[in-house]
Order: sequence, then C-alpha cells, then structure tokens
Amino acid sequence: MAVEKILSFIKQKPDLMFAIILAFFVYCVFAFTNDYFMTHRTTFAIMERFAVLGLVGLALTLCIIAGEIDLSIGSNAALAAVIVVRFTDSLGAPTALLIAVAVSTIIGLIQGYFIAYLRIRAIVLTVGTLMLLRGISLFVAEEKTVMLTDFRIPDFITTKVLWYFSPASLTVIAMFVLVGLFMNFTKYGREIYAIGGARKEALAAGISLKRPMIIVFAISGFCAGLGGVIIGLRSGTAQALGLQYLLLAGTVAAFIGGVSILGGRGGVVGAVIGALTVNFLNTGLVFNVTPAFMVQLYLGILLLVVIMFQTGSVIFEKRQRRYQILKDIDNRRERLKKEMKGGAQP
Amino acid sequence: MSPISEPINQLPKPSILEKLIQRHSKLAITLLAIFIVVFVYGMVTAPNFLTLFNFKTIIRDAALVGIMAIGLTFVTLSGNFFLLSMKETAALCIIAFATGMASGWGFELSFLFTMVFALIAGISQGALIGIGGNPIVVTLGAAGVLYGLGAYWSDNLVVSYRRPHGAEWLGTGSFLGLPNITVAFILIAISAELLLRKTSFGRQVYLIGANRAAGRATGHENFWMAIKVCTIASVCSAFVAIAFSAQVSSAQVNYFSSEFGSSGDMTIMVIATVMVGGNSIMGGFGSTLRSSLGAVFISTVDNMMVLHGFNSGPRVFAVGLMIVFSIIVFAILRRGSRSEE
Repeated sequence: MAVEKILSFIKQKPDLMFAIILAFFVYCVFAFTNDYFMTHRTTFAIMERFAVLGLVGLALTLCIIAGEIDLSIGSNAALAAVIVVRFTDSLGAPTALLIAVAVSTIIGLIQGYFIAYLRIRAIVLTVGTLMLLRGISLFVAEEKTVMLTDFRIPDFITTKVLWYFSPASLTVIAMFVLVGLFMNFTKYGREIYAIGGARKEALAAGISLKRPMIIVFAISGFCAGLGGVIIGLRSGTAQALGLQYLLLAGTVAAFIGGVSILGGRGGVVGAVIGALTVNFLNTGLVFNVTPAFMVQLYLGILLLVVIMFQTGSVIFEKRQRRYQILKDIDNRRERLKKEMKGGAQP
Repeated sequence: MSPISEPINQLPKPSILEKLIQRHSKLAITLLAIFIVVFVYGMVTAPNFLTLFNFKTIIRDAALVGIMAIGLTFVTLSGNFFLLSMKETAALCIIAFATGMASGWGFELSFLFTMVFALIAGISQGALIGIGGNPIVVTLGAAGVLYGLGAYWSDNLVVSYRRPHGAEWLGTGSFLGLPNITVAFILIAISAELLLRKTSFGRQVYLIGANRAAGRATGHENFWMAIKVCTIASVCSAFVAIAFSAQVSSAQVNYFSSEFGSSGDMTIMVIATVMVGGNSIMGGFGSTLRSSLGAVFISTVDNMMVLHGFNSGPRVFAVGLMIVFSIIVFAILRRGSRSEE
C-alpha cells in the first residue's frame, strides 16, 4: 500500500525525487567527511542561511515558472539591505524594515507592469534595473559601507527559538507556506503557471498578461527585499555593490528544485529542497575551509550539469515524440495499403 | 512620365516629423525629447567638455567596453540573447596573459596562450547554448566556473610583470596621436561591421537571429552559429583583457568586477552598451556600429557627469536610467514588428 503510493509519487514527480536524492546525497557526503556537520549548531547555521537563500530561490522559482527570469534580484536585495541599515538608527527597526520591504515590492511591481505593458522579455528590463538599483543603493548609502550602531537588533534576529530556528527563518518558512498555498490553490497562482507553460494559449484563453506578471514580480521583489533586510540586519552592515552572488545561488536552487527554463513547471516544495541543497553545499564547503571563489566554481558546475540534464531530457522527449508521429504515419500507410489490396482482390 | 505609373488617389506625403508622431507613441517621443534636452544642457554647461582632448578621452574610455560590446553584438544579433560571462572570460584570460608575461614568454606567445583559453571558453559555452541550453542560465553557470578557475589558478593574488615588457605598445603606446587601444577599437569596429554586412557569415547571423525556423529550414543550424558567435565574443573579451593587462602590467581575477572603470559591473556595462545602441535583444535587428556608438554615447554621458563632479552613485544610476529609457523607447518604436515578440 505505502510502497505503491511512494512509487506512484516517484512516477508523478521525477524531478522532485531527483532533487530530494541530490539533497540527501550532498548532506551525507558532508556528514561523513566532517565531524561537525551533523550537529545541532550546524543545523541552526544551515537554517539561518536558508532564510536568505531560500527566499531568493523562491523568488527565482516563481519567475522561472512564469517563463521569465529576474536578474535584478541581487540589486534589489542590496537596496533593501542598505535602506534598512541606514534608517534603523533614526527610525527604529520595524519602520525601517517596512520601508525597505515596501520599496523592494514596489520596484518589483513596477517591473512586472512594464514587462507586461511593453511585452518585452524580463531579462531585457531587469538588466537595466539591475544597474539602476545599484545606482540608487549607492546613492542611499552615500557610497560608503553603512553600519548599525545598535546591535540589539542583530541579536534579536539570530536568537534561537525551537532548537533550530530563529525569528528570521521562521518568517521565511511562513512565507514559503503562504506562497505555496497561493500558487496551488488560488486562481491567480494557477494563472502564473499558465502564462509560463503556454503563454499563447493562456492569452488566447483570456488571461491577461498584466495581472500574473505583476504578482510574480511583486512577490519576487518582496522576497528579495526581505532577504536583503535579513542579511543587512543580521550582519549589521550593508554595501551597495554587494550581494551579487545571490543570483547564481538562487538560480542553482531553483533549477535543482525542478523548474524548467521553458516555464510552467516546478513548485514551492522544489524551491525548498533546492535551497537546502545549495545550503548544504555552501555550509559544508565553508566547514572544509574552501575559499569563496571555489564555492562559486562548484555552484557553476552544478548549474551547468543540471541545465544540461534538463536540456538533454527536453531534446530526448522531442525526438521521441517525432518518432512516435512518424511511426503512426507509417502504421496508417501500411493499414491503408492492406485495405486497398483487400478491396482490390475480391 | 506616363499617367498610368502615378496613382491618382495618392495622399499627400507626410513629412518625417509627422510620420514619427503618427507611427510612434507620444511616450517614446517625450522620453527622447527629455533626454536630448538634458544631454545638450549638460554638454554646454560642462567645463572643458567641448575640447579635442576631451573627445579623445571619451573615445579611449569607450574602447574597452566597446570592443567587448562588439563581440557581444554578434551573440545578440544571432538571437542568443547575451552572455552573462563576459567579464569572467576576461578574468580568466587576463590571468592567463599575465602568467605568460610573468614567465617571460614574450608578447606573441602569451597572446596565443590567452587566445587558446578564449577559444576553449567560447566554444564550450557556444556548444552548450547550441544544443538548446538557455543562454542566460548556461552563461550564468559558466561565469561561476570561469571566475573560479581564474581565481584558483592565480590563488586570488595579483600577478604582475615588470616594465619594460613586450606588450607596452598596446597598453600605453600611441599612433598618430591616438592611443593604440583607440586605434584597435576603431579597426575592430570597422572590420566587425564589414564582417556583418559583406560576408555570408554576417548575413547568416542576421538570418538565424531574425527567424530561427527559417534558418533551420535553409540549413543553417543554430548549433554552429552559437559556437561561432560565442567564440567571437570570447575572443573580444580576451583582447580587452590583454589590452587592460598591458596598461597596468599586472592582473588579478577581480579587475573586471564591481569597481572597474566608470561604473558598476563590466558584464552589465557591456550589455548596457549593446542595449543603449538599440540592438534588438531578440536578435535579427541591429549592428555592431550601433554598439560602438552606444559605447561612445555612454562614455560621453559618463564623462559629462564626471566633469560636473558627480560621484559614482549618480553615474551608475544614469547608466541604468539610459538602459531603461532605451528599452522603453525601442520597445515602443518597434511595437508590432515581429522582431520584438
């Protein structure tokens, strides 16, 4: 009974199974090679990292489901981080946090609107906003590294609750649950899948491009902003030109989680597993004293392997389908021949 | 003139201005007008802007980004969007070149050694894109790999070599009063334009970019095209890396990252240049001449802002604004044409 259920689950979602196995494998490799990896403290550290990377992975997952990619995510996060760190001293943390997240969300919203209004690909616009937002964050930070003076807030954000969690990671988990429910059980969530998987058909069926696009990019901006806020408040400092690595790490997380570059596939559960995999890799490499550029190298290789795997499977499926059509045509021709012969002889 | 050849019910021919207003939305024209006003105002009020010396400076500043942008234009024209690994290719190549120079191989051998790396990087990325990988994602991954390799090779340290060395003529020499790097920029711009306009390869780039299905039907697969255009882009990156290394007689893997040059990230600057020039990102429309002019244009604005005494924040912001402006303007101007779908 149970085995059958599991088997049918595997058949339904091979991508997700692949992601789970990969995550488990990466975890095991580090757990066996490093004594400190499988401890409560490390798990806490992984969850802390998950708070940021999971958010970025989630944002990119949604964008890729909608068939687009948001390149400006690192800049958006950096802007939020700079704003929150700059204004915490004068306005207090909650207000600064609200302002930063609101600014990021509005930026995402505007991007979504323009992408839908101008009918351009998101990469085109987000490359522009990538630079624009860097400029704004340089402006806000006055080209310095901004710092907090009151370090009670970083302490609050990283307090341990329930063994493995902190206020930051609990917020992020709540965010994941909300977005997961939204994507699976609301009309708007299904619209996002529709414009990603089959845009022309979706538009022909009467879905407006604007609404799902604005929702996706607003959520993406919100996630980026929240991620930036968490990074900024946790470390107490923020740089306008920082956080460039988020795009690569988030994309790797999204693709491990099983999104397809063609859009319309993947989900929030995949994003969680993808982000966890990247976190295991990141944390494990840090434990083995690997320099940062080597982490980038491994992430790059991982991304290339995953994307090639996916491209290969797409090509394979296409070829299979073409063979199937040719076979059908052949069969029909044979049948017709037989029928004609059968009809001619008697 | 026979009366038959002339249609009787012909409407009066609209003037160019009327055509512009009829065809295009008011938003695009307003944006353009605002931009022109700001630009002219800045040009007139900036001190020492309208001098020959400053003009030479602008071209020289545009050269490095411009050469890379010319390389990237081929990729964009062929419908493969853009490569996010331009600066990382340059980073690996600058390390290769400096290592060669530091080992005393001389300029020619180091140059060839660097080009080998550029070819490997270009061909492998091109092959991955050619078999159907999404260019953005593939090059995002490749960027991590190339940068990691460069950093691993140099141990993240500065590789320096002593003056006088064989590459000095490229970095600091000049020809007829123009710096050699400017001359190289002009030569590369002309030859790239000729390559695009006058050879069958150039026409194939446009064909595949404009209509991939038609390209495949006429026997021009994107696989080989992707390899060729990625190689061109990589070689241009490598050339920029060599020229830059020759200027400073050293190399480090992060030379092309955030703080390089005028503003921001080198890869994004290059993509910005291609876009501001007005090339269609979907492929099939544009030219390398547009990219070269885009480079000069961005450099002009940057120069103007420096002369006005702006910090790097507003300058990065201005470049970003230029990209977004140009995206909006060109998207509206070309609305309805198939190349933007």
